[in-house]
This record gives sequence, structure tokens and C-alpha cells, in this order.
Amino acid sequence: MNFFLYSLAFLVFSVFLMLFSARLKKITSGIFLCSLIVGSVLAIISAIKVLVNQTSLDYHAALRMPIGEFYLGLDALSAFFVFTISVLFLMSGIYGYFYLQDCEKKNLNAHYSIYNLCLVFLLILVTAKNAVLFLIAWEMVTVCAYFMIIFYDQQKVVRKAGYLYLIAAHTGTFCLFIMFLLMQHNTVLSGGQAGSMNFDQMLLTPFSLPLAGLIFVLAILGFGVKTGFMPMHIWLPHAHPVAPSHVSAILSGVIIKIGIYGLLRIILIIKDFPQWCAVLLLFIGMISGVGGVLYALGQHEIKKLLAYHSIENIGIITLGLGIGLWGQINQNEMVALLGYAGALLHVFNHAVFKGLLFLSAGSVIKATHTGEMDKLGGLLKYLPWTGHLFLIGAVSICGLPLFNGFISEWLVYRALFENMFQFKINAIVFCSLAIIALSLIGGLAIACFAKAFGAIFLGNSRCLDNKQLKENSLFIAPMIVLGGICLWIGLFPKTMVSFVLRAASVVSAVNLSPIKQSAIISPLITMGFVLALLILTIVILGLLKKISMNFSCTKKAQTWGCGYSLPTSRMQYTASSFAEPILRIFRNILGFTVKGNKPSGYFPKEERISAHVVEVSEEFIFKPIFQGIQFLASKLKIIQVGFVQLYLLYIIAFLLLLLIWKIV
Amino acid sequence: MGIQILLHLTVMLVLAPLLFGIIGKTKALFAGRWGAPLFQPYYDIIKFFKKGNVYSTTTTWIFQVAPLVYLATILVSSLLIPFGGLKAPVYFWGDFILFIYISGLSRYFIIIGALDTGSSFEGMGASREATFSCLAEIVLALDFIILAILSKQLILSEMVGGTILSSWPLFGPVLLLVGLSYFLVLLVESARIPIDDPTTHLELTMIHEVMFLDHSGWDLACVSYASMMKFFVLGSLFVNILIPFHNLSAILQTVVFGVGMIGLAIIVGIVESCIARLRLNRIPELIIGAFVLALVGLLIILIKGV
Amino acid sequence: MWLELVLILIIFLGILILGNNRLGSMIQLFALQSLLLSITPLLIQPGLHAGIITIVTILLKVVFMPTLLFWAIRHVSMRWEVYPLIGYGKTLILCGLLMAIAFLISSKLDLPDKSTSYLLVPSAFSIVIIGFLLLVSRFKAITQVIGYLVMENGIFLFALLLLEKTPLLVEIGILLDIFVGALVMGIVVNNINQEFGSASTINLTNLRD
Repeated sequence: MNFFLYSLAFLVFSVFLMLFSARLKKITSGIFLCSLIVGSVLAIISAIKVLVNQTSLDYHAALRMPIGEFYLGLDALSAFFVFTISVLFLMSGIYGYFYLQDCEKKNLNAHYSIYNLCLVFLLILVTAKNAVLFLIAWEMVTVCAYFMIIFYDQQKVVRKAGYLYLIAAHTGTFCLFIMFLLMQHNTVLSGGQAGSMNFDQMLLTPFSLPLAGLIFVLAILGFGVKTGFMPMHIWLPHAHPVAPSHVSAILSGVIIKIGIYGLLRIILIIKDFPQWCAVLLLFIGMISGVGGVLYALGQHEIKKLLAYHSIENIGIITLGLGIGLWGQINQNEMVALLGYAGALLHVFNHAVFKGLLFLSAGSVIKATHTGEMDKLGGLLKYLPWTGHLFLIGAVSICGLPLFNGFISEWLVYRALFENMFQFKINAIVFCSLAIIALSLIGGLAIACFAKAFGAIFLGNSRCLDNKQLKENSLFIAPMIVLGGICLWIGLFPKTMVSFVLRAASVVSAVNLSPIKQSAIISPLITMGFVLALLILTIVILGLLKKISMNFSCTKKAQTWGCGYSLPTSRMQYTASSFAEPILRIFRNILGFTVKGNKPSGYFPKEERISAHVVEVSEEFIFKPIFQGIQFLASKLKIIQVGFVQLYLLYIIAFLLLLLIWKIV
Repeated sequence: MGIQILLHLTVMLVLAPLLFGIIGKTKALFAGRWGAPLFQPYYDIIKFFKKGNVYSTTTTWIFQVAPLVYLATILVSSLLIPFGGLKAPVYFWGDFILFIYISGLSRYFIIIGALDTGSSFEGMGASREATFSCLAEIVLALDFIILAILSKQLILSEMVGGTILSSWPLFGPVLLLVGLSYFLVLLVESARIPIDDPTTHLELTMIHEVMFLDHSGWDLACVSYASMMKFFVLGSLFVNILIPFHNLSAILQTVVFGVGMIGLAIIVGIVESCIARLRLNRIPELIIGAFVLALVGLLIILIKGV
Repeated sequence: MWLELVLILIIFLGILILGNNRLGSMIQLFALQSLLLSITPLLIQPGLHAGIITIVTILLKVVFMPTLLFWAIRHVSMRWEVYPLIGYGKTLILCGLLMAIAFLISSKLDLPDKSTSYLLVPSAFSIVIIGFLLLVSRFKAITQVIGYLVMENGIFLFALLLLEKTPLLVEIGILLDIFVGALVMGIVVNNINQEFGSASTINLTNLRD
């Protein structure tokens, strides 16, 4: 615990230091880099210590706050999230340091200190053992993230996206307030210490099933807005693309995951839920997963595409949570462990590969000044490091073997399949639906990232002059680390899986016996053997090819144009046309429209077509709601007259009303 | 284990092109021709291996590696499936998920390999391949769900192995449905006629083959060899599901398996001779049909109980 | 087990009919389905009663009606169902959904005799649903007739539950009913074609005020 507290203290100190040394830009950025590295390494060490020793640590601060107390605790679940957060913050912080070097005009000191502040409050959030402290940290993270999103605040789009984010996050917090009040009320009712908002107290009290269901729905609403569950995700695709790339990476990698942490914490505290809660989670997972990847296919801008993929991955995580909860409710310990472990591992994996993808997208945008996929092309030759790291990220995010995404998806799949062995009709129905959704997500993700990688890095450039592009090699180091983690977990999953199993056993209150642990891990080791065999086969084939090429001639030529004498690079298949067949199949769900005419006649004139996807939930759910609110609010304008005197009268009248109500 | 793996690979490497020869012969006989010799696919592959390579200036290393990855993934995934008397050399709990996803890996690489050329034709093929195989994957998942429920196993060689035998008398109809829907998946995945025509390259309606327009020499040999072996792997799974031969002696099993594979090749040949290639927009409908068939199988399990 | 296999094949053929757009092969598939259907009484309860039903069914549904339908499509020279009201893919998805519901309902139904086969009622339901979907989603009059006939096949399966209890006369009467129905349809198709120059039921919308 000491390490963790040192890390917090160090980071807080650095925040103040950076604010006070605002004039000295060089020194400030030095302080930022040092403090970030030291702080997050300390946090990582403390987390690993907890995960390895399987102990949990608590810290009561002597200082009393107005309503809660400063009470931190580091159990396996918290430690796992501390680990995830620190790793990604460290990497994208270093990247951000180099990325923002050319933004001289901006107040970088403020950005740096807010970045560190955000890390501090995230660390407090995932270790808080007191509801009030949790909510304070939650709000502070929201505000810090808001300031980081609006970094480029001279653009109107950016301000609007930040505003949307702020509104959405606060709507969620509203539900969380009610939820924690309900929980505390229940604690008080069952004889707990009055006024205590400590999680320990809540953990000891039993919750009735209907109350647990109500709290669960509130948690889904409250945490779900931030996490980006499918119908409530509208802020996410707006906010991610406008932020600087390293901020997008932490937004997508870490900040949306704290909702998942919150859900897990609630599950840990309440334990007994009605069955429909698990079904609800499964359905949210399916909708977010499939919906996220379908919308991602319809995007033309790389960061927006990645933003939608965050929703997809949240869907996979939620499927894992749902099946884990199902196992926990039905006392199926193996399923519970597997489900939670899959979800948690995917949290970490997604943080790593999505971080990697956003960072490489950032360096593409930095080099080319555009993120429109249909304008790019052929960048692999000119930005080789970025391109290859993007490829690693893409293969990982598709959940393909050799990289880390597959391991977590494998755990979730296995939980879903093992749940069907206890023959129950509803288990089979829901699990097979979830499996089908998961495999559809897998297939669509492959299509989507083939499209993204193919359009940006392969073929020829569509609009730009690639030869002038330069790669900034300073960006690359943190990306290489992230890519290395992807490969490491994909080939040697044992360490990480045993970590997440510990966290999962804390969540599900299942005793993690060595038999269960080896039942989960030993197939993964055999799988590692098969994957090693795969790599070996590829290498052998490559060598054979190399040897045989010595005996035959190799020529260079142009791509065969199929008879066209002058193929230009603009005739390549674009990202939009690549995605078109799939979008056409799902056009009714997506609101997919193609505008424009086909060229006609023997000598056709110029025609333009464009394909767009309509965000259904934004267009048909939230717009009507907001318009309704606006309508009602405009009716209320009657009382807004403009005289200050009248407003004072309102206040007094209202106070009187309250007084009368209290007396009667 | 090393010897088992080598034996497994050798069987597949040697026999896979023969199936294509049988298909070709069947089609020729149906058309009233004598057709190419049975061993023509072997000659083709040997010819391709001898030729030199031509690489487009647009391409990067991905274009050169993609065929190798394709071939390697097929080789590795074949290790998870029993070939008659030859038991699967490698297995672990949950290996069929690896089987599905490893084919995803090969698909990803051939798609980006095709996009690497910058040709609009290959882009078109890549786009279609991505579309149709992501739909076929759902059907495959549903088939595996049914097999997993019936066998209570998550090991591929067990799911299609011994336990299927005991479920034939009780769940014959279910297995028949699984077999039918899997057959359609097989046709989609190995790019056979009602979905795709493997014999022509240049038609705009092609899917799988058009992705390999720019491949030549070694790469083309790898790709066509891999396609043949993919058919062999998927086909051996089909034979394992539909023919319950698992309690015979090892030699007899191998014989039945061999006959089953030849039968499959002849059936595919007959299907290709009798059915015209579907229009592109009808292919999703075919896959949905396969899905509905598998769904009926799952429903039967649901109402009957295991 | 044989009965179940036959029932599965009947459902399979139903799905094939639903996904087909060529009228000729639809009729062929229907004939095949009816052939399999006519075997089922023999599989359930071999005997004279079942034998007579089998023979009559074969005569009517495998020989007579397909011939009539073939005559009709030759007469009006129709071969394709080009623009269905609901697309083929969507009808198939709908079919899957409805069948799932039908299977789950039929396991809850309290039917007099469950001993014949667990699959009889659900598959009867499914065939009725397939026929119904054909009727709802297609325009061509011939397809409508086929849908109606497929639906009747499903009802036939239902009736098999009461194989012993129904007198032969009633069943023959039902079959005759269909016979007349199909004949009337045939004539209607012919007349629509003469009147409008095409045999699409869309033209019938002109008959309202």
C-alpha cells in the first residue's frame, strides 16, 4: 500500500508543481514526464504486489471529510484496474509529451497537470472504499476528461462534443447518486452504522432481490452512459475523434472502463441478483457488440471508426460480465470464474490494443493531417513503424490468434459454452444467442479492420503525395511497448490469466482452487504450443520460398490492370466500397443510405455518390427526447420575465411553500 | 507426437489435390467429356512451384507473406481434426474456438494481401470474401453449439468423434440438419459453385479466386494448394459428423473415411454440375437458409432435451 | 427415428420452397414434400387405413396437383417470382423466428396423443408457418396456390395425430376439398392471366372501390 500512496502523493505534488511553474515551459514538461513515469511505475509495482501475493490492503486516512472518509483499499480487483490504468496512462502520457511538442501556442502546462490529476482521481476511484469518495473521484474524472477532450477548443465541433460528453456523464452520475443512496438506506435499515457510506458496511448487509434488481438497473444506467452501452453511447463517437490522440487512447482505453469497474464493484457488494440481471447484461453486450462493429464499418474517419470499436469491445466485456453473473447466480463456479476473467482480461487487452491503435492513428494524422480513410493509402512504405504497429493492433482487436484479443475472447466463449452443459432451456437459448453474436462480431471486426488497414496503409495513395511524409520516431517507443504486450499475452497468457483469475475470484467470491486454475490455464498452454507451431510453419515456409526463389527469376511489374491500360490510384477500391456489401445486408438496422446517381449513357458526365450511416439511437431515441424537453422548457419561459424583483419574489414564495410543507 | 503430426500433415499434403481431381472428373463426366486426368491438380501445383514470381511495385511484404500464412494456418488447423484412423495429434479443451479463429486469421491475411495490390478487382473480391465468410461463420458457430451440446465436449476431435456415434439413434435428425447446414458452409468457405466459381478468374462476380489475380509462381502455388487443403480439412469434418464410424478398427475407420471423402468430392461435383452459380445477392439468402436449418436442429434439442 | 428423419426432410423441403424463386422447381419440391408426407401415415401406423390415405395422397398431391400447376405455369408462361413483397432473406429470417416460437409453444401444448413423435406437432406447425409465409410474402398467383398447398400439408400432419380416431370418409373429404380448392385456384390463375395479361395478385387490388 505504501507504494500506492507514494505514487498518489507524488502525482498530486507534481500537479501543484506544474501549476506553479507555468512560466517555465521546459521545466514543466520535464516535471510532467518524470512524475508520470515515477508515479505510474510505483502504482504498477503496488498493483503487481497485490496480485502476486493475493493480499488486500487498506488505508484509512486520519483526515475526516464532510460526509465520507478517505478510505482506500487495494484488493485484487482494484489492483487489476490500477495496473491497467497506470500502464496505459504511462504509455500515452509519454506519447502525448512528444505529440504535443509542436502545439506551442497552447497552454501545455494546464494540459499536463490535468492529465496527472485525471490519473490521480482514476487511481482513487478504483481503490475507493467509500461511496462518497467514489462519487467525488467519479465527478473529478469526468471534469478532467472534459478538459482533456476540449484541448483544441478553438473549433466549434470540439466544444460541442465536450459539452455532449459533460451532459451525458452527469446524467449518469444522477443515477449513481440514487443508487448509492438506496444502498445506504438498505444498510441503515438492516442495522448498519447510520450514515456510513463505506463499502465494507454495505458488503455485510443482505439485499432483497427486488431491491438488488432496482440497484442493478440504476447501475446499468449510471455506469452505462459513461461506458457506452449501445443505446446510451451517443457522446462516445463525438468525443473520441476530436480529442488529441493520446487523450482518445486513455478515454477509450481507461475512462470508459471505470463504468465496468463500477458494475463489478456493485456485483461484488450485493452478490445476489435476480436472474434477469444476467440476461439484461447479455443482451446489452450483444446489442453493443454487434451494433458497435456495424456502425464502425460505416465510418469514413479513422478515429471515429475506432471510437465505435470501443463500443463493440465494451459489448464483448459485457457479454463476459453477463455470463459470469449468470454463473454466479446459478452457483456454477467455473462459468462465473471464466466469464469474469474473460471480461477483465478483455478490459486490459482492449486498453492495450485500442491504445496502440489510437496512438498509431494519431501518428498517421500527424503526418498526413487527415483521418479520412478514403483520402489515404499506401502509407505502409512511408510510415513503416506506425503501419506495422497498427497491423498488430488490428489483428489483436479482431480477436485473432497469436495476439491478446483472442485469449480473452476464448475465455468468454468457453464460459458461454460451458454454461450450456447444465441442460436448461433458457441457458441454451441465451448462451447460443450470445455465441452467435460473438462470432458475428468477430467476422465483422475482421472485415472492418481489413478495411481500415487496407485503405490507410496498403495500395497506392489516393490523394496525398506520400513521398513527402515523415515518421516521427519519438512517438514510436510507447507504441512498441504496447504492441509487445499484445504479442506477449497472445503467446504466453499464463501470467495475465492468473492475475485476472484472482480478480475474478474476488468478484464472484469463488475460492480459486489450484484444480480450477489449472483447468483454465492448461488448455491455454497447449494453445501456446499450437501457436508456436503456426509461427514455426510460417517461418519454414518462408525459408523454403526464399531458397526456391534463388532458382527462379523474380520480376517487378505493375499491378495487373485487368486490361485497363491506364489504371490510376483513384480506381482502387475505397474503404466505403469495401464495406458496402455488408452494410447493404444490414441496411435496415443501420439506416444505411447511398446518395447520388450511377453514371448513365455512353459518355457519362461526372457523378458523385456518397454512402452514409445514420446513427439510429441518436436520430430516433435521443433527438425526440431532447426536442420534447426543449419544447417543455420553452413553455416554461412564461415565468422568465426579466425583472430581478420578480425572481426574488419567486424565491420567497418557494421558501414559504417549503416552510408550510414542513409545518403541515 | 512429432511423428503423428508429420504423418497427419503428409496424409493431407498428399491426398488433398486428389479430391479436386475427383471433382473435376465428375463434372467432366456429367458434361459428357472425358476430362482432365485425375492427377491434374498435382501437375498444376508442381508447375506453379517451378515458375518464377512477378511482384507488383505497389505491393509490400504483406502481399508476399499472406499466401504463406494462408497455407500455414490450414496446415495447423488440420492437426485438430481426426482423419479416420489417424487421431487428431493436438487437442485441448476449447480447441474448436481456435479452429474458427485461426481460419479468421488466414482470411484476414489474404484479404489484406489482396488489398495490398491496389487493384480494384482484388479489392472487390476481398470485400465479398469478408462479407460472405463473416455470415458463414455464424452458421459454423451454431453447428458447433449443437455438437457441443450433444457431446458435452469442447474438444473438436471429440465433438465430431466417438460421442456422435451414441447420439445418432437419438439425435439422427439433428445431426442430419447439422450436416446439411455444414455442407452449405463448406461450399461457401471453400468457394464452390453455387456460391463462387473457382474455374474462372476474370468475371466480376467472382469472390475467392479474384483475390489471387496478382499472385504468381510460388505464391499462386501456395494459395491453390491451401485452397485444396482447406477443402480437405472442412470436408473431413463433414465426413466425421455425418458418418458414424468411430467404433470400427483403425484400418476400417480409415477406409470408411477415405470412401466418405471420395463420396463428398463426387457429391460436390454433382452439385456443381446440376446447379448454376447463384447471383451475388442471393448468397446471403443461402447462408440464412443454412442458418435456419441449424436453428431447427437446436430447437429439436431444446424440446427433446439431452 | 425414421419418422423423425422424414419429418426433418419435410421441413427442409419447406425451407427450400420458401427460399426458391423459380416456380418450376418450387412445384417439384412441393411434389417431393408431398411424397414424403404421404409416407408418414405408414410409418406411424402401418395398416389398411394408412395405406389408403397414402395412395390417395400420392394420387392427389404428388401426381395430380403438380401436373395441374405445371400446366398452369406453362399456360401463362411464368417462370420466376421476381419481386416478392418481402425479400427472400427476410422471409427466411422470419421463418426461423416463427419456427422457434412454434417449437417452444408446441412443447407446452397439451395434446391428446404425444406418443407418436415429439417432432410431429412442431413440424406440423412449422410447415403451416412456411405455407403462411409463402401466402403473405409473394405476389404471383401460382406461388399463392403453392403456399396454400404447403400450408395444407402442415394441416395434414396435424391430422396424423388423430390417425386412428378419424373415419376414413372425413379424411377423403378433406382431400377432396383441397382438390376442388386447387382446381378453383387453377381456373382463377388462368382468368387473372387472361384479364390482366399477367398472373400477379397485385392486379386484384384494382377490384376494390
